Amino acid sequence: MLVFVIRRLLVTVPVLLAASLLSFLLIDVTGDPLADLMVQQPPPSPEIIEAERERLYMDRPVHERYWLWLTGIGGNGDIGLLRGEFGPSVRGPAFDVGAEVAARMGVTLRLVAAAVLLALGLAVATGVVSAMRQYSALDYTLTFIGFLALAMPTFWLGALIKEAGVWANGRLGTTVFYTIGDSSADTRGMGLWERIADAGGHLVLPTLALMLTGYAAWSRYQRTAMLEVLNSDYVRLAHAKGLPRRTVMRRHALRTALIPLTSVAAVTIAEILAGTVLIETVFQWRGLGTLLVEAIRTSDAYVLMGWLMLAGTLVVLANLAADLLYGVLDPRIRYE
Amino acid sequence: MTAEEAVAGAVGQGGAVLRIEDLHVSFPTEDGRVRAVRGLSLELRPGEALGIVGESGSGKSVASLAVMGLLPRGAQVSGSARVAGREVLHLGDEELSRVRGERIAMVFQDPLTSLNPVYTVGRQIAEAVRAHRAVGEREALARAVELLAAVGIPRPEERVRSYPHELSGGMRQRVVIAIAMANEPDVIIADEPTTALDVTVQAQVLEALEAARRRTGAALVLITHDLGVVAGHVDRVAVMYAGRLVEQGPVEEVFERPRMPYTLGLLGSQPRLDEGRSVRLAPIAGAPPTLLAPPPGCPFAPRCPMAEARCTEEEPPLRATGDGHLAACHFAERLEGRTPQEVFVRSGEPGARHGAAPSPAPAPSAAPLLRAEGLVKHFPVRSKGVVRRRIGDVHAVCGVSLELREHETLALVGESGCGKSTTARLLLRLLVPDAGRVEFEGADIAALPRAELRRLRQDMQIVFQDPFASLDPRMTVAEIVAEPLRIHGLYRERGGAADVERLLRTVGLGPEHAARYPHEFSGGQRQRIGIARALALRPRTLILDEPVSALDVSIQAGVINLLEDLQEEFGLAYLFVSHDLSVVRHIADRVAVMYLGKVVETGAADRVFAAAAHPYTQTLVSAIPLPDPRKERRRQRILVRGDVPSPSAPPSGCRFRTRCPKFAAELSERERARCVEEEPPLEARVPGHLTACHYAQERALV
Repeated sequence: MLVFVIRRLLVTVPVLLAASLLSFLLIDVTGDPLADLMVQQPPPSPEIIEAERERLYMDRPVHERYWLWLTGIGGNGDIGLLRGEFGPSVRGPAFDVGAEVAARMGVTLRLVAAAVLLALGLAVATGVVSAMRQYSALDYTLTFIGFLALAMPTFWLGALIKEAGVWANGRLGTTVFYTIGDSSADTRGMGLWERIADAGGHLVLPTLALMLTGYAAWSRYQRTAMLEVLNSDYVRLAHAKGLPRRTVMRRHALRTALIPLTSVAAVTIAEILAGTVLIETVFQWRGLGTLLVEAIRTSDAYVLMGWLMLAGTLVVLANLAADLLYGVLDPRIRYE
Repeated sequence: MTAEEAVAGAVGQGGAVLRIEDLHVSFPTEDGRVRAVRGLSLELRPGEALGIVGESGSGKSVASLAVMGLLPRGAQVSGSARVAGREVLHLGDEELSRVRGERIAMVFQDPLTSLNPVYTVGRQIAEAVRAHRAVGEREALARAVELLAAVGIPRPEERVRSYPHELSGGMRQRVVIAIAMANEPDVIIADEPTTALDVTVQAQVLEALEAARRRTGAALVLITHDLGVVAGHVDRVAVMYAGRLVEQGPVEEVFERPRMPYTLGLLGSQPRLDEGRSVRLAPIAGAPPTLLAPPPGCPFAPRCPMAEARCTEEEPPLRATGDGHLAACHFAERLEGRTPQEVFVRSGEPGARHGAAPSPAPAPSAAPLLRAEGLVKHFPVRSKGVVRRRIGDVHAVCGVSLELREHETLALVGESGCGKSTTARLLLRLLVPDAGRVEFEGADIAALPRAELRRLRQDMQIVFQDPFASLDPRMTVAEIVAEPLRIHGLYRERGGAADVERLLRTVGLGPEHAARYPHEFSGGQRQRIGIARALALRPRTLILDEPVSALDVSIQAGVINLLEDLQEEFGLAYLFVSHDLSVVRHIADRVAVMYLGKVVETGAADRVFAAAAHPYTQTLVSAIPLPDPRKERRRQRILVRGDVPSPSAPPSGCRFRTRCPKFAAELSERERARCVEEEPPLEARVPGHLTACHYAQERALV
């Protein structure tokens, strides 16, 4: 198992390298970080532009810049992924990209984790119920909801949910659902528990919106997996042994039907990350998603590259976790 | 309650541990209600073994699932089924779970899917024990070890911790049997328990079933399509057709004096190991009726050569025709003393093979059409991961040589994984051998230029095993049959549609079938389409890769007869790949027995079957059940131990030694050393009969 983990980790190195090259080139050829500066009125002096160009390492050739971005060798100490530095921002030398990313990642991961957990839980539950009551009214209803969630674009769903929250608050005359921000604007004077409750309250609607894509896909997978298992010989044999129905369902059917979901879930993590960009915008969160939007708007090259790398790393890690989990769940998979 | 008490209790209620009365099962489908079981009544006495025989769709499995309460949601069940006096149909979940496993247990067909892959076999057996007994996990596991030993699994203490995928099919089926006997039930229902297994493993599993019966005193319901399996292992037999019981009686009585034409037909279409090529099989024409709207009269009437007007109007009741013998036929008495050939072979068609002795095999001096020498094929085994190093080889074929002459059938037999199908593919150059050569009419096919190899393919065609997978579902029958002609640019030249029609007629299909799609045909008809396609190019050799193993017995007989007729008519040479020795006995002139990639015995079929000299051939022959209860019970059995070793690490010396009964029981230490160290060469014992065994000794086993 350990050998497998190490080998699996080694394999991620070339994957991440390729991802870094792609992220770098993609951003480098599509935007000029100095563009905003150039069109400022009144025009800044050539010295200022030159200094900015040097600060952002735009005076160096492409390959050198890539190497610099990756390793930080030959830079000013503010760049180099391997050193944990994301590079300078167009927002000025005082802006620490790393600290900003870290702060916002906390906010976003909170949202992602809540959405993934909720989506998984609901998907498994409805998938199982759907399969056990195949072709019943309940099954058709859940199927309809699933396809509705799949078919609706995330931003549209997000906007609808937000409007619904606003409407509900209006009708009730008090703020039940928080529709703006990841926490209240002013948290001074709140104790720890109050802060947690506040953050939790702000999570509700965005989580709901973000969860639906993952939920819709996963519940369909879970239904199919469960149906397959329910029709399997070993479930029949478990019944034939005289096990109570609930035990058969839990121990033999559900346990095995969960295995395929792990790999599907890992792949969908990427989609959920993409979803945060939209949901955070709709609900005006200061998370990674809005950071991306801001960075695109200002052609903040290193922030963009760093963001892409971070997302890539998260996806790779999610897949690694799924692979390892698979080995734990399915004894037929052994990593030697 | 112990098994004895249960039996005693059951006897008090009329002497039956299982009594099924007027059982009806139907399934709603889009086309209407499929009436799978129609008024089945059966009785099973304590400790008795009852065989239920029938072809696919006869309702035999559905009936057993109905008794177990395992039918899918939506199935409609009526009638009554009492287990030890207690009604089990329409029981609630909780009550049902108390009956299942405790009073009545079941063994399913496919051992590869019957066990949950994520739990150890020990846990799965222990679970069955704990479902009905208030014992701890530790105690239950100890019982699991005991049960594994009882079904003949070596080293049960270790095996109890194995996961199902670590065990072979035969072992897994024995684990399922262990689960079935865990609570000493009154009845064990085994639904085709050996159909998915090789013959030598089948023998082991049947042995385990017998052991389970002896230990638990349970009555056994053995459901199978194989008349041979029934003949040797049950006391009474019931024959099902189209959802109804059509004949029932003591096994000798039914086999020797069948009183229902269908039973007689089944017996006549079953190729037998104790009959040579001189007897032509008597297939049953047509196919079983659809169960959507069964005909009003006797369901067998449309296929029955004895049918009269009364048969299509009035359904015959099951009535007594002898001592304990029941049959559902208006004219049961007319079957007295008649053979299947007399009843089922239409007048004008000769009962014996073309009215004459089998066509003599060509003289050995005749130049072989197809010759293979020292064929070797290894498949690399690669490590998982990115690098995928080659970590070993599967030695699929290791030095196989064979010859095939015109108008001759050479059968390549052996268990799954012995390399017989790979050999067939090497001959066709669908696979390229690692070493060795294949000659067609003296020309090395590896040396042929591409265009000539293409030409040569016209002379060598193949018929595949699975008639469902080998026909493109999106092509019409005419397109399928014409495809080889089009590929070789011969379609117009050979007469186009007229030629296709001629081919269809040759294989017993009509021109009206040409425009239909494969899914509209039954398995037997599809295989005929496959044969028509193979014949389209007028080949001289046909490679037949298990061509009848997916078909029901009555259908299989028709295809075998067709193959024999085609050979007669066109002088075809057949390479017949099969695991079924009864079929091989019926169709082959010569036999080559393969084990782990090597030919271990070869010679004229008559000789190899009558006087098998290699211990492996002997175990194979002895494992094939005869559809004759008296003979079958008297036969000497040579049981082989264990499973086929992995072909990626074959044993040193003689490859069969690890399972060889002779090696285990008869040889001295010194003699054994030779088996371990020295690989026995394939040598002629008498001219034309070659054996690869240091201590070969002929034995008559049929």
